[in-house]
Amino acid sequence: MVYSEKAAKWVLSFPLLLFWVVMVVFPAGYAIYLSLHDVSMGQGMSSFSGFGNYLEILGDADFWHSIGFTLEFALITTVLELVFGFLLALLFNRSFPGKRPLLSMVLLPIMVAPSLMGIMFRLILNENNGVATYFLSLLHIQINLFDPDLVVPLMIVLDIMQWVPFTFLIIYSGLQGVDPGLFEAASVDGASYWRTVLQIILPVIAPIFFIAAFLRGIDAFRTFDVIYVLTNGGPGNVTKTASIYIYEAAFKSGQIGQAASASVIVAVFLLLLIPFFVKRLSK
Amino acid sequence: MKGLLTRCVTLALSLTVVLAGCGSNQDSSTDAGGASGGSEQSGTSKVSMVYWPGPESDAMQKVVDAYNSGQGKTDGVNVEMVLLSRDGTYEKEAAMMSSKSDEVDMYFTASYIIGQHAPSLDALDGKLNTDGYLKSSVDSLRMNNETLAIPMDVSNHFLLYRQDLIDQLLSDSAWKSKYGEVSQKVLGQTLEPKDPKDWTWDDFIAAAAFFSQEYNPDSPTKYGTALQMKNLIFNVMIWDDFLWSSGGSWLDESGKPQLNSDAAKKAMGIYSTIYNGKMTSPNSTVAEYPETQAALQSGNAAFAVQWGAAYDELNDPARSPNIAGKIAVAPIPGEHKTHVHALGVGLNKYAKNKEAALKWMNYLTTKDAMQIYADGGGIPPIAEVLNGLGEKKPVLPLIAEHVDKYGYSTPIIAETQPIMLKLAEDLSGAWAGKDDIGKALEKAQTDVTETLSK
Repeated sequence: MVYSEKAAKWVLSFPLLLFWVVMVVFPAGYAIYLSLHDVSMGQGMSSFSGFGNYLEILGDADFWHSIGFTLEFALITTVLELVFGFLLALLFNRSFPGKRPLLSMVLLPIMVAPSLMGIMFRLILNENNGVATYFLSLLHIQINLFDPDLVVPLMIVLDIMQWVPFTFLIIYSGLQGVDPGLFEAASVDGASYWRTVLQIILPVIAPIFFIAAFLRGIDAFRTFDVIYVLTNGGPGNVTKTASIYIYEAAFKSGQIGQAASASVIVAVFLLLLIPFFVKRLSK
Repeated sequence: MKGLLTRCVTLALSLTVVLAGCGSNQDSSTDAGGASGGSEQSGTSKVSMVYWPGPESDAMQKVVDAYNSGQGKTDGVNVEMVLLSRDGTYEKEAAMMSSKSDEVDMYFTASYIIGQHAPSLDALDGKLNTDGYLKSSVDSLRMNNETLAIPMDVSNHFLLYRQDLIDQLLSDSAWKSKYGEVSQKVLGQTLEPKDPKDWTWDDFIAAAAFFSQEYNPDSPTKYGTALQMKNLIFNVMIWDDFLWSSGGSWLDESGKPQLNSDAAKKAMGIYSTIYNGKMTSPNSTVAEYPETQAALQSGNAAFAVQWGAAYDELNDPARSPNIAGKIAVAPIPGEHKTHVHALGVGLNKYAKNKEAALKWMNYLTTKDAMQIYADGGGIPPIAEVLNGLGEKKPVLPLIAEHVDKYGYSTPIIAETQPIMLKLAEDLSGAWAGKDDIGKALEKAQTDVTETLSK
């Protein structure tokens, strides 16, 4: 009977294990294998190159620039998305007229594909036929949001617009689980609303915050679509993310081996962050 | 008994999941790339050819249909197009090429990427006659003295300008006077307006300033021109016109990079003068083909260096009601050099059905096949075909003329696309005034040298 249960566990786990091996273990292992070889588009594998690709990537200033920009972008967007998501969640945690339709509207951006979001704003902000520039011109406001000095803040704002609903949803679900009695008790004790939120509610939902921060942080670090569609990493390399760097190395320059080694470096970098989040979540 | 039943059910479920994942979708072969290249049925060889989905494949489908129902029957060949996604065609082909796949017999390629495709393509010299094609289009698909693909669709650039505005500039004395004043301010010399066919780069800048409200508040257009400055290889192709038409190129005759040449500095200087002088929209930093079209269609710009395919749309009253009928064509200013690149098809080195594929390719090189392609909306690089369609599409004879007279191909080497990527990244910052021109060109010189040394 014991044997049967063990076997059943394996059999039941088999589809998931197979999926994990096919979709995670094999691609990761193959990426490491490619990163150690001289592989280029069209020519396939030529020779074992050891850590040559890694040294090449680590010595490339453009790679470090893309990592730096990606870190900056991920950090700023994640923090702001958490803040705005939290504020929205507090708002929707109350009763007010029109809450349901407003909730649907708030969630809309999350349903738009990121690449479409990029195309949409490419049209909206176009000087010749864009809606936003038209209304700004009526107000005699002339601003070039794609100026090299403004393009990074623009990318951050677009990311926030799209992904605040995501952090809002997670934090809102956490708030729904908070005992309303906590608010009442704090109120009876004379605590103000914001003191209650910051000193009582926030610590209670801290694990939820970490989940939202983890998911958004990882996702922001992988950002590709919107920036690729809007600026393609430019002007120059001002908005080039690590994902765009890897994509260009692999599919434009055809340096598959180098792209694989850049992917492995980025993956290792992200893996270093996981224990921090796991430790927080398992508390 | 219950345990046995549980095990059987779980095993069956697991197998179902596994088999579902492994199942093939035999109905999607032509759309998803699962072509059955090389199969033979009833003495007919099937040739599978990758093509780029979009207007080009719509045109090619007409050629395929005509061949399969006519000449193909005599040849014993049936052609099937394999349409990969428009944005992912080269990536998917790269995967096939890397594995030396024989899944398809012919690959879709282009001048800017053929260097990377070369190891997977058979040379076609001596197997096909390419004499009927415009020379620069064939050259753009040759590497190391070998023809690696036949050109199907050709692209080049023109100076597209508002004929009505230029006519007034050439005849109105007040405008002429203002033009002289503006050119003095921008270039330090008083210039006379000229026909765009005779423009130097100074004329280009002076006209751009004259038609910009920054210098001429009475200008009917907000900006003189529309530069395409997004970090994109296709925008490098346009900047290349400024470089080549200033007497430069990427490489010197010995193949060494020369991006720090005077010509390169001049080409960069034109962009910088125009962008910093507000003679193009500030949004030009993210502009490419559609934004340039919008600038001309909205009446915001008086002229632009733009892809040839834009001409018909700009003169179409339905799509460009403000300016239709007012757009004319001139060669690129300066030395008039126009970038030429071709989309083409090459023979997979590992194809199963090379003989049949060559029969089909031989048909593709005929005037009849290319006539069908052009009638279907393609732009085949055959002068006779393009000239014959002048009444229906006035731009086609102009393409034939300009590609023949002024066409040049960027160096076709394995590193063509990587070099374009580097140039897009190194130069687009300086175009937008973010980086110093000299430093940007030095970086481009270093990066291209490194790219070539790899």
